[in-house]
Amino acid sequence: MRVTNMVPDIQYAMQQSQTALSAALQQVSTGLRVNQPSDDPAAAAKMVVSLAASANVDQYTSNISSVLPQMQTADSAISSVVTSLNSALTAGTSGATGTESAANRQVLATQVASDLTSVIAEANTSFQGAYVFGGSASSTPPFVAASTSYTSAQGTVASPLTFATPLTAGSVTSISDATTGDTMTFTAAAGDTIATLQAKISSAVSAGTLAAGTSATIDAAGHLSIATNTSTAGIVVSSNDAAFGSMAATPGTQVANAYAYVGNSNQNWVQVGDSMNVATNVPGNQLFTSGTNAIASLNGLITALQSGTSAQIGAAATAVSTALNAVSQQRVPLDNTISQLNDQESYLGQDTVTLTTQQTALVGVNIADAATNLSQAELTNSAVLAAAAKVLPQTLLDFLK
Amino acid sequence: MASLSTSLLTAVQALVADTGALQVTNNNIANASTPGYSRQLAIFQEATPTNDGSSSVGNGVVLEGYQSVRDELVQTQIQQETQAQSGANAQLASLQQIQPTFTTSTQDIGTEMSAMFSSLSSLSTNPTSASAGEAVLTAGQNLATAFNTASNTLTSQQAGLNTQVTQDVSQINQLTQQIAALNPQIAELKATGQDGGTVQDQQNQLVLSLSALTSVAVTQTDSGVTLTTGSGTALVVGSQSFALQSTTGSDGMQHVLDQNGADITASLTTGSLPSGDLGGTIQMRDETIPGLLTQLDTLANQFGTAFNAVQASGTDQSGAAGTAFFKFPPTVPSAAPPVNGSAASITMAITDPSQIASSSDGSGGANGNLAKFGQLQTTAFVSGQTPGDAYANLVYQVGSLTSNATAESGATTSSLLQLNNQLSSVSGVSIDEESTNLITFQTAYEAAARVVTTVQTLFQITMTMGTAAAE
Repeated sequence: MRVTNMVPDIQYAMQQSQTALSAALQQVSTGLRVNQPSDDPAAAAKMVVSLAASANVDQYTSNISSVLPQMQTADSAISSVVTSLNSALTAGTSGATGTESAANRQVLATQVASDLTSVIAEANTSFQGAYVFGGSASSTPPFVAASTSYTSAQGTVASPLTFATPLTAGSVTSISDATTGDTMTFTAAAGDTIATLQAKISSAVSAGTLAAGTSATIDAAGHLSIATNTSTAGIVVSSNDAAFGSMAATPGTQVANAYAYVGNSNQNWVQVGDSMNVATNVPGNQLFTSGTNAIASLNGLITALQSGTSAQIGAAATAVSTALNAVSQQRVPLDNTISQLNDQESYLGQDTVTLTTQQTALVGVNIADAATNLSQAELTNSAVLAAAAKVLPQTLLDFLK
Repeated sequence: MASLSTSLLTAVQALVADTGALQVTNNNIANASTPGYSRQLAIFQEATPTNDGSSSVGNGVVLEGYQSVRDELVQTQIQQETQAQSGANAQLASLQQIQPTFTTSTQDIGTEMSAMFSSLSSLSTNPTSASAGEAVLTAGQNLATAFNTASNTLTSQQAGLNTQVTQDVSQINQLTQQIAALNPQIAELKATGQDGGTVQDQQNQLVLSLSALTSVAVTQTDSGVTLTTGSGTALVVGSQSFALQSTTGSDGMQHVLDQNGADITASLTTGSLPSGDLGGTIQMRDETIPGLLTQLDTLANQFGTAFNAVQASGTDQSGAAGTAFFKFPPTVPSAAPPVNGSAASITMAITDPSQIASSSDGSGGANGNLAKFGQLQTTAFVSGQTPGDAYANLVYQVGSLTSNATAESGATTSSLLQLNNQLSSVSGVSIDEESTNLITFQTAYEAAARVVTTVQTLFQITMTMGTAAAE
């Protein structure tokens, strides 16, 4: 073949070797084999998915860091409750002794009342503004002093509410009972009246959600009155129904040492792994009131110490003991979850390492290989330039001088 | 019978021929670096010999003319390869500008989508936290912006390519006009048996420039070159050129029309590889970018719609049913948005953290609905894929298109180098070769000049023969 001009070949060779040099340099300087999708489209696409997985793992770790203190706060609160219940139990056991004087029993009653106050304070513990034992209704204290009667804002003597007064569809009325520890929630439907609410309350009494004697009446002043005839416990009523307005405790009806749970039974679940969700809260009713009602048992013990017989005090102390066991049992799942979270945190740490290794394999470069490639590319480039310097200036004219 | 006069005549013819050859060599050297120049040869031929009975005596050399050395086949291959290279380069240039938008960074859609899900997960640990809620809104805004930016990158590329179509058509028209103008001159030269020479070189170079712009089929005829587009639209016939036109179509894009006003835009991209800058540009503008835009719009649309549906299934901090999270103006947020333009127009519909429908039970502190947002990450609701996979697929396509265009551009560059070397081996000027030719023809000229001197001496001797004898 007749060769006339080597410049294009040399230019092409220089271009190629410089491109290779630039690529090798970029790999060494960035530590990456894939700097843009076109370098390896399949790896770049897998990288998108892998990075999303990494972001999730980071978030799970962060979630654990966020919920652990909250759960530890709850755990610590339960621990204090257990201490208070133990203290009350000791007082109860002592008070049940037949030789104990009435005066001493009054002192013990005061001590148990103090334990109850501590329990309520712990049960209303908040973490970063959220009440940890309120279920998902965490914006207000879950345990509220109960009263025997609640009266509506609406209604006058001249224009009294009646059982036929229609309710606002969609409005919610809830009655939390200190004795049962349960809450009746009534959502008004179209066409419902105060009579419907009254019927609902009767049903709740029959079902045991509300204590016997709880009823809705229209009082002499024309107000709706929701009340209970139990003098040692009480209820807490709330409503957003415009038909009878807000419900407020009737003055002078608050019951000493009686508290109703106004939170809900819902748990919040937080994702801490691709297929792992943990409940981050124990609703207060599950812990303190449902089944064995720790708060009511303390209230019962106080009443028994103040005015009961030794047998009654003994029975009340037994109730506190049962409640103590129940609370201790409820603590176990919470402790398990805390331990699970600590394990999961370690696992996520390993997961991050696995994902990082995967990402390095996808788009990273072996530094030793990259350095070798770079020196190879430098060598090639130097060789091309040296060859060009030798070949380009040579013409026959050099020798014809 | 040979005579001194005949010898003198032979020497003079040799001087003329060598002068011509020197001139050709001179011209070759002068044009050694001229693009498209084909080296020329001086065609020498023996003069008709004188028959003298039983013997025949040569009468020297005759300069028949000049001939350019060409290889039409390789020339054609170069034109075709140039079309492929320009098509690939047009796509590559555009894709290289699109690619950074889909490269993993702190602001690409994939990262922002992850950040969005992370912020919602973070909010689930404390649903009433205003700062965690603000983080969700910020992540949502960033994601919407990432969609807007990616869409704008694609549409502004499309607009740039649209302008390029007009420029390409204008250049094609100029070139076809120039090519047609050279046809009569070449036809005239060929009619008299001459080589097209410089004019032919110029025309070949113009056809090559035209090949860089669009697909052309070249046919050599007696009246010069005939050019048509790859799909058969006439561009040059004889001395006449047929201008293409560009006009705005109903889709707002520039369409290419032939001389009869027929729309030939689609035909310019037919074939497995787009030909020429115009073919590559139109393919990017009308096929590649719209394809990517549709996928991007579908992702934005279905992502936004799915988020709005989850938002509607929960309640916000005030206990009210969640309102739309994203909106797609100008349609109302609750209406099913049209897919086209979704990525460009998606924005946040809520502006207050308390509007995030975290709750599934009506309490502000519940996080049940946030889990539903999180589940979207692993739900295949974007054309049968999860949102992350759908975006990864888009990244793969952009990468693959760019990688293919890079490979095609590299392959055609290498192939063109080989073809040009091949053409150069036939038509190229070698300075070394011309230097030796220079010496050859110089020596031949000197020798012929010496013959003239010798004959002159012989003439003088002959003229003084009588005088010398008398003395």
